[in-house]
Amino acid sequence: MAEYRTHMKIIGDILATTRDDLQDEDGASVTYLIRKANISHSRISTILKTLVSQGLLEKVENQGSNKYKISQPGREFLQAYYTFTNFADNFGLNI
Amino acid sequence: MEFLLENILNLVGFLVGLVIGIMSYIGFRNTGSPTLFRLSIAFFSISAGFFIIWSGYMVEDFITKTGSVERWIQTLGIAIQTIGYFFIAFSHSIKSFFPKSSYFRSVGIIPLFLVSSVQLEHIFRSVSFILLAYGAIETMLSYFENRNKGAISVAVGLGLLALGEFVGWYSFVFPESILYSVSMIIKIGGLIALFIPVSKVPLTKIKFDDLE
Repeated sequence: MAEYRTHMKIIGDILATTRDDLQDEDGASVTYLIRKANISHSRISTILKTLVSQGLLEKVENQGSNKYKISQPGREFLQAYYTFTNFADNFGLNI
Repeated sequence: MEFLLENILNLVGFLVGLVIGIMSYIGFRNTGSPTLFRLSIAFFSISAGFFIIWSGYMVEDFITKTGSVERWIQTLGIAIQTIGYFFIAFSHSIKSFFPKSSYFRSVGIIPLFLVSSVQLEHIFRSVSFILLAYGAIETMLSYFENRNKGAISVAVGLGLLALGEFVGWYSFVFPESILYSVSMIIKIGGLIALFIPVSKVPLTKIKFDDLE
């Protein structure tokens, strides 16, 4: 059975991919993120737009296509996300 | 003896609730997670509830010296704690105050029948017991899913608080026995168990990964 992921977990997965699992130095393409984060195109577009507007991701235009890299606030958010995921796990909860 | 235990319990409850509440709130501010927001409301309420009862005992001991704490202060403190326990249980997906399952609904009603007196304190204690027992069971079930050892400690903590609440409630039947003191010792143990895994969260040691 597929594991239910909260919105926060999906954001964590996207940020973790752009930090740890990049195809090249320019960043990750939308297609790559869709595959890695296992999420639909329409949903990831909204999430990416939000993450860029909040400064957690940087959008890089490269040869006509958009790629995404994690920003410094994004790294800090991801670190906080891991810390508090562990905190909530102690209470048997998902953040 | 009872007075000393009551003071220790309320002070420990106030501090443990405050620390966990602050940590949850920091988490909420950093991540925007609604779960952490609910946890911060829960633990700030628990902390406030213990603080109110502790203040009542302090006022009685140093100012009024009547020999017993005002009943309404005790009831108010327990009511606010119950709100906190509700939010812990709510975080485990309680959809309404009484769960829809007929089994849980029946378990929920039993204590209300047993305490036919209209004393609010008894009702709050019985509701607290149900919410704490539910929280302990859900937390233990989550341990079987993610194998996080901290969840065992939290489940034991909530379970001990529930047991303490039950024994404290039952002590009304035998007012001169040591049941009330025992209930307070159990609850102090529960609060300590609740705090152990939370104290290991490395809040002050957040390390950012290598910057290029």
